[in-house]
Amino acid sequence: MRSDRELSRVELDAFGAELDALRSRTLADLGEVDARYIRRVRGAVRLCCWSGRALLILGWFPPTWLLGTLLLGLGKILENMELGHNVIHGQYDWMNDPEFAGRRYEWDIAGPADFWRHTHNHVHHTWTNVLGMDDDVGYGLVRLFPEQRWKPFYRWQPLWVTLQALLFQYSIAIQHLRLDQVYKGKMSKDELRPLLRQFNAKVLRQWCKDYLFFPLLALLLGANALAVLAGNVLANLLRNLWTFAVIFCGHFTEQAAVFSKASVIGESRGHWYLRQLRGSSNLSGGKLFHILTGNLSHQIEHHLFPDLPARRYAALAVEVREIAARYGQVYNCGSFSAQLTTVLQRIWKYRVPEADVVAA
Amino acid sequence: MTLIPMSWSRVLSPLLQPLRWLVRRRWLREAEVDAVLAWLQPGWRLNRVFARVEGREWVAEDMLALRLRCNGNARGWRAGQHVQLYLQLDGVRHSRSYSLTHVGRAGRIELAIRRQPGGRLSNRLLDHLPVGALLELGQAQGELCWPQESTGVVLLAAGSGITPLLGLLREALARGFTAPISLLHYIREQGQRPFVEELQQLMQRHPNLSVRWALTGQVQSDAELQGRFSAEHLQGLALDSVLACGPAGFVETVAQHWRGPLQVEAFTAPERSVEPGSAVRLGFARTRRQVTGDSARSLLEQAEAAGLRPAHGCRQGICASCTCTLLSGTVRDLRNGALFAEPGQLIRLCISAPASDVDIDL
Ligand code: FES
Repeated sequence: MRSDRELSRVELDAFGAELDALRSRTLADLGEVDARYIRRVRGAVRLCCWSGRALLILGWFPPTWLLGTLLLGLGKILENMELGHNVIHGQYDWMNDPEFAGRRYEWDIAGPADFWRHTHNHVHHTWTNVLGMDDDVGYGLVRLFPEQRWKPFYRWQPLWVTLQALLFQYSIAIQHLRLDQVYKGKMSKDELRPLLRQFNAKVLRQWCKDYLFFPLLALLLGANALAVLAGNVLANLLRNLWTFAVIFCGHFTEQAAVFSKASVIGESRGHWYLRQLRGSSNLSGGKLFHILTGNLSHQIEHHLFPDLPARRYAALAVEVREIAARYGQVYNCGSFSAQLTTVLQRIWKYRVPEADVVAA
Repeated sequence: MTLIPMSWSRVLSPLLQPLRWLVRRRWLREAEVDAVLAWLQPGWRLNRVFARVEGREWVAEDMLALRLRCNGNARGWRAGQHVQLYLQLDGVRHSRSYSLTHVGRAGRIELAIRRQPGGRLSNRLLDHLPVGALLELGQAQGELCWPQESTGVVLLAAGSGITPLLGLLREALARGFTAPISLLHYIREQGQRPFVEELQQLMQRHPNLSVRWALTGQVQSDAELQGRFSAEHLQGLALDSVLACGPAGFVETVAQHWRGPLQVEAFTAPERSVEPGSAVRLGFARTRRQVTGDSARSLLEQAEAAGLRPAHGCRQGICASCTCTLLSGTVRDLRNGALFAEPGQLIRLCISAPASDVDIDL
């Protein structure tokens, strides 16, 4: 699997210091260009969404309906990935602009941004790929590593994964509700109630916008409400599939490592960096591909520096790769199709308990 | 693009109430609505105050008065209050606080800006802000008000502390206030007497007003007072209530010498008490950094010194842009020494110094 060199305490500290220095250098260089970039991304999101919605009003006429749906889907993908995800990380907080403030941004997806700030920004980024601490490892539905204890339920995981991919926006929204904890009695219904209220309110807003307001608007304009509704459903679906694929490729590829709870006790900064590097995997591709993944194709850089503007990751990657090589660490990078294939293989392989025996 | 004039947007603004309701309820994203409004009229926004520069006038060697016209969102502003002025430099939105020297009809206001030697923002505003430019302002704040019942008002201003007092003075005189008013303005040099011509004209028109300048940095000429504020400067004045405005040190001196009705406004952070043995551990949770800090400087300064770039605005505790969650430990409010130790409490980094080892969500 991985052929990393084990690092001594001293080496780890030096490794951490090099990455810290890289971070400081980039931070000091942020300015007008980055601010203009994120404004342009938002402009592109608006252009895609608004033009997509306008085209959908024209009804079932295939060229406009398809183009409208694709534009709307593209707008949503851009909004969720390059704009929402990155802004919510606080990557643009240094601009002091309230419209790009990570603590306030709300995105166009079922899950409330507040939930995400906790489950993703805090939990997942702190405890990346630590079994039992990072719920993003399979989201409780999927067994991806032999280290995860097998349950009969996993036998059907290809089916669960398919459902999860189709409904991905709901799957990450529900994550914060900790229904498993409620089920096991570790969390009370009273604790759940306010979260549930927040969840319902957000989902209701999203549904009203996509599935009620715009179809009704079409009706008012004498157009075909059903065509608009279908376009919205399909656009959301496209976004779900795309985000699912990108996110699963981030941490569950063949060479991605997982960690035990014991290994992170008293973890130093250098060790934390090392864990981010080993637990993440990159996707190679062109500029547009990187933007469409919200630069999560540079998952390694994103995990090392979650609060640096994502447009910087490509440049950072060159140096990170070089540092990783010097410290004898595998830099996990592959094409989208190759990485996705290994993820799907994992899903198939670890559905049965004997998988690890067979592999060995 | 300008599809409609600013005056129309002012008239139409109250009609946007339903949109404001939807934004508050989070059915709409304010930035999207603002984008459409700004497309119709660059100075139009749903809630934010934008203003167009209508005139610039040098009122002293180092002070410029800006006449601005606000969109319909500047509500209930009074002369003597202060507003945040936002300006974007190198992608970062900076802000400074300036006092309203005049509030007129239909959104017309005046601000006076003093050049800070080496101040990037004030220099930019003074030298590169053309008539017609658009600026963002915050909502006006401040409690200073004219003592309407007073039998003798003394206004003490140091440096740009004149600006809120001038705003109040102009308004009181226009309303026909007749009790004696004395204005003492402490400045460094003769050329730095802002609004000098206007004040002299006001003195001629209103016999109850006397204005004197105290030069603190130059050999005095006969007509002027000498040196910094001292109690003698108050002698012989009709004295019932005092309004003082200037740097914190100046305001404190006035407060020591005058025990009657007093309103003050200080515009620099008060001095900080440095405690001995004050090294503390600062933990920044989001960036996973631990650094050694001290218990004297603000968390904002120390976070920046550690290479972080936290969101901030005024840097003096006014705008709350730097609000952040305190995870553990105790912090001291630099303005009044109050201690906060509640985990999960929102604190303002720019005015909080650590009073123990602290962890903050940054
Ligand atoms: S920057 Fe203004 S409150 Fe902190």
